[in-house]
This record gives sequence, C-alpha cells and structure tokens, in this order.
Amino acid sequence: MDRRQFLRVTAVGALTGLSVPVIGVGASGADDRTLRALAYPELLGVLGAERVRAIGVSYREATPAERNTDALRAAIDPAALIARDFADERTVLVDGWVLSVTEARQCALFSLLGR
Amino acid sequence: MHIDARTLEDGSLIEGDLCIVGAGAAGISMALEWINAGRKVVLLEGGGFDFEPRMQDLYRGDIVGLPYYPLHAARLHYFGGTTNHWAGMCSPYDPIDFEARPWVPHSGWPITRADLDPFYERAQKVLELTPYYDYDADSWTRRDSTLVPFALDRRAFLTKMWQFSPPTRFGTRYRDAIVGASAVHLYTYANVCEIQANEAVSAVEELRVRTIDGKSHRVRAARYVLACCTIQNARLLLASNARATSGLGNGHDLVGRHFMEHLEIPSGQLALAGTPIPSTALYMGGFRSATRVQGELAASAAMQRKQRMLNATVSVQNMVPGEEAKSTFQFFNPDLLDAMQRAQKGDTTAIKQVRKVFSAFAPSAAGTRLFNLHTRQEQAPNPLSRVTISRERDALGVPRAQLDWRLTDLDFHSFRAFYDVLGSELGRSGVGRARVQTWVTASDRQWPTTLSGGWHHMGTTRMHRDPKQGVVDPDCRVHGLANLYVAGAAVFPTAGCANPTFTLVAMSLRLSDHLKTRLA
Repeated sequence: MDRRQFLRVTAVGALTGLSVPVIGVGASGADDRTLRALAYPELLGVLGAERVRAIGVSYREATPAERNTDALRAAIDPAALIARDFADERTVLVDGWVLSVTEARQCALFSLLGR
Repeated sequence: MHIDARTLEDGSLIEGDLCIVGAGAAGISMALEWINAGRKVVLLEGGGFDFEPRMQDLYRGDIVGLPYYPLHAARLHYFGGTTNHWAGMCSPYDPIDFEARPWVPHSGWPITRADLDPFYERAQKVLELTPYYDYDADSWTRRDSTLVPFALDRRAFLTKMWQFSPPTRFGTRYRDAIVGASAVHLYTYANVCEIQANEAVSAVEELRVRTIDGKSHRVRAARYVLACCTIQNARLLLASNARATSGLGNGHDLVGRHFMEHLEIPSGQLALAGTPIPSTALYMGGFRSATRVQGELAASAAMQRKQRMLNATVSVQNMVPGEEAKSTFQFFNPDLLDAMQRAQKGDTTAIKQVRKVFSAFAPSAAGTRLFNLHTRQEQAPNPLSRVTISRERDALGVPRAQLDWRLTDLDFHSFRAFYDVLGSELGRSGVGRARVQTWVTASDRQWPTTLSGGWHHMGTTRMHRDPKQGVVDPDCRVHGLANLYVAGAAVFPTAGCANPTFTLVAMSLRLSDHLKTRLA
C-alpha cells in the first residue's frame, strides 16, 4: 500500500464516520497512523462496515495464523497495491467474495479494531 | 390461405412443392420467404391459433435426467409456437462459437459466422429489431453516450450486446400475411404423426397427418422441412420407424443426441467500487430503453482459449431486498407464464402482476452498488444428453418424448473459470468486487438446486459434413434422405451463449434460399 492509497482508505474511514481505537498494541504515533490506515479497507465504502466486519471475522477463522492484530499487521505488506494483488492472482475467497489478500487482511484488522 | 384440417374429408391428400412442418419462428420465417416465390407451400401447424390444453398435452413427455421444466410447458403448440411467450432477446453467435475448439468435444460448425452474417441482417427485420445489424458496444456508446461499458480489460471480458425484439409474436404479427398469401396453404390442427420414407429409405414419400378428432390425411411435396422444435423434430424422426427401425436419419444413432440448453443460473453478486459509481445504464433495463439494447459481461475468445472454457455471459440485475436471486426456471414459473399470456390479452390484473415481477430488470436506483450476477453459459455438446421416445403414446398414438438432460465436467469447470477471472479482473480494474455463490467453488462440483436452462432447446439433429458425426449436412438436409430438411435450433452443433431465436431465424432464411435454388 503506497501513500496515495493510504490517504484514500483513510478518507474512506472519515467519510463513513468509522474510527479505529488503537489500544494495547504498544505502537508509536507513526505506527498508530499506519495501523489506523491499514484497518480501513477501501471495501468499507463499497460493502459497508457490517459486511466488511463479517468478512474480517471469516478470514480470521479461516486463517489461524492471522487471528490477532500483531499477526495481521505483520502480514500486511504496506507497499502492496490491491490492484497489483489482483493482477498477480494474490486473491482469497472469503464469504464468497473474491478479494485481494491485502484487503482481506485489512478486513480482518477492521473486525478487531474498527467500530 | 388457411384450412382447418379437421374440416377436410377424412383421408384427404394435400400436395405442394414445399411442405414445412411447424409454424413457429423457423417455419413462419421460411413461409414468409415463399409468399411470392411462385411455388405452392404447405405449412402444417399441429395446433390452432390459440392456446388449447388438449393440443398442448401432445407435447407432454418424461424427464429422466437432470431436473427439467415440464416439456408441455416449455414449448407452445399453436400458430406462432413459442414466440407466443418469448422474451425477445437477440444477439448473434460469436465467431468462436462456429470454430472447432480442441477443448470442447464435438465442437465446430461447417459454416462460419461470416457465412451467416447476411442472414442475421435479414433476420433483424423479421424479428423487428433495430435498423442496425450492429452488436458492438462501442458503436452503441457513440449512439447514446449514457451507455458506457465497464472499464475491464478487453482481452478478458467484453460487453456482448443484445437487441430486444418487441418481442415479435409470430402468431399475431404474421398471421394475416400467411393466411392472406395464396401461395402458402396453412393447415391448422394438422399433426404430423409419421414421416413415410420410400422403400429404399432414400427419400420421403409422404407425411401422415392426424387431427385430434380422429381424421387422417396425407401430405406430399417435393421437399419437406421439419420445423417443429428441437425435441419434437427428434421425436418425429425417431417415431418414423416403419422402414428404418431406429428412426429416419438415425443410421448412426445420432438423432436426439447432443441435446443442449443454456445454463442460466444465479451465480454471484457484483459490488461496484469507486466514486462516482460506474454507470450500469448499458447493462440494465434494455428492453425498456429507447434504444432497446443491453449489454452483458462476456468471456472474450482469448480468455475462452486460455481457460479452456465454454462461452458465457453474465447479466447484471437488481437485487430484490430480502429475496434470493432466482434461476430462469424459478423466475418464469408457470404462474408468471400464464399471467404473461393473460396480460397480452389485456387482463389488467395480469398486467400489474407481470410489471411487478419484471421490476427486477428496471434500471437501478441512484447510488446502488450491489447487483446480482446471472450467468448464461453454453452447454458442452454431450452425446449422452439426449431425447428418446418412450413407450407411452399421446392422444394421436405417437410415442412421447423422453428427455435425459446431462451435463459434463467441462460445464462446471467453465462456470468456475469464468468467476475466477471475473473476480480478479473486477478488482484489478477497480470496477468492483465479485461474490461467488458457494456451489461455484465447492470441491464436490454439485449443481445447485437453482440449476436451470433458458428453454433454449438445441442440438438433437446436429449439422456436420460427416454423416457419422451429424444428422444433417451443411445445407440442413438429413444425411441419406434426398428431400428432408431440418430448420431450427435442432441443427446447431454447439449452443453458443446467446439466445437461439435470432440464429435459428437466420439459419431458416439461409435454408429457404437454398431450397429456392433446389426447387427452381
């Protein structure tokens, strides 16, 4: 995820009125912002918070190694582009949705942190 | 000229130059071509001018394979045939549909799309389509700038265009033209029960006709054309076994085989991304729009080759809140079909009922992001998918049809491949995301309970140059019989993914031209 995409997903968060409290992850201020951005997939503006949360829960259930915030933050490549994921067939099927791996992880993070 | 066969003296002999069996889209399209041709055409229709349960019952048959719609409800047995309740969707088959594709067993037509183009152009008029034989999405965007295709990679997905017939009800639209033509002798209530071949089984000698009230007649002509729909054509050939025990044209056990449908199944959802939301005007409400055109997402020929999959399109439809997407069979249930017929006759309650149901196809409301995806896929030709005749006989003594509809692994593989690529391409392009129904990706490869066709019956007398691989030759003449031809979708070697009416009318016009040279 590049800076431009970060800005876009953050804007989605602002538009949808959702917030991500960063609690107990021991992050610095910069890390807080990164985590907050990571937890706002572009899908929020498309599918809404309820569906995104459900997708996130399903992803975590199906991926035992990525069930918590730390594991998800570590798994998400901040340089990844969602479009590139699709082009390179780095996709996963979650609740029937064909998603990029990056955005599926973002959904999982949102299900843990998003309100 | 119209004659009710029930009014003829029992045992009458009817004679003409050309005899067409069946007055549906194929038969009437052909008969119209002969109005001023200087030849006497006998057009035989089994029913009358309106729906009658006792005539319809002659089409009743058994389903022994995959679940299917009742046969007597899937085709209409009166003048105009099934055009009396068709939806009017028209699009030509794609060039790849005519090709022999190594990954599709039994594929390949002996003619090309270019061979058929002039006849498609003529069929536009018969089916009262737009003045333009133009199915290019970009052309329609130039005519109407609100019709914009999704920005998908065209190497993978195209927008296949459809034009909408009013729809032309052949039974009402062309009744006066046929009845008023002195050269065309339309006989109603004239059911062909047997095709009588000569002793050498090299040509048809005459047709045996019966009426529902017990009269028998004979019909003799120089050439005969079977145009009584895919299932009934096969049934009639198989039942005509007095001089060929396995049925006429069936020396290589091909009559009735390769029955094909279009698999029409709700398969997923589309969530459009981006701001503003991509326009869906091109994909929705086509038959209500001024241009009467509509697009569907289609697998490109390149993608079909790469994925070794069948041809398919997917339509974008409104989601009805709280309702699951319905298959074609579920949507067009017998109640709706009945309402559609009553609506045509001005029944205001039925008109309201039909309008409400069809609201699913209305243009989407502003801001809508979620839609249903409804797939229409070609069925792979499969010799085990077939029509046979049963021991049970109808009221006229003709063995009833028996349908054993079967699918193959390639049919299933193609669904999955389509949505694998569509899901990735929607995300890559930023157009949106796809949600795929569980059955599409399930490892057990079980067809869902919504498995449905489009009532598009094709393939029981397939066309091939080789008599060992096809029932009719490239001119639609039954191999081995000098004067018997087949019109309609029964001759299609493969099913394409477009509704068959446009192509079967084009093919009927082509056959008509051929017969004019033979009878000249």
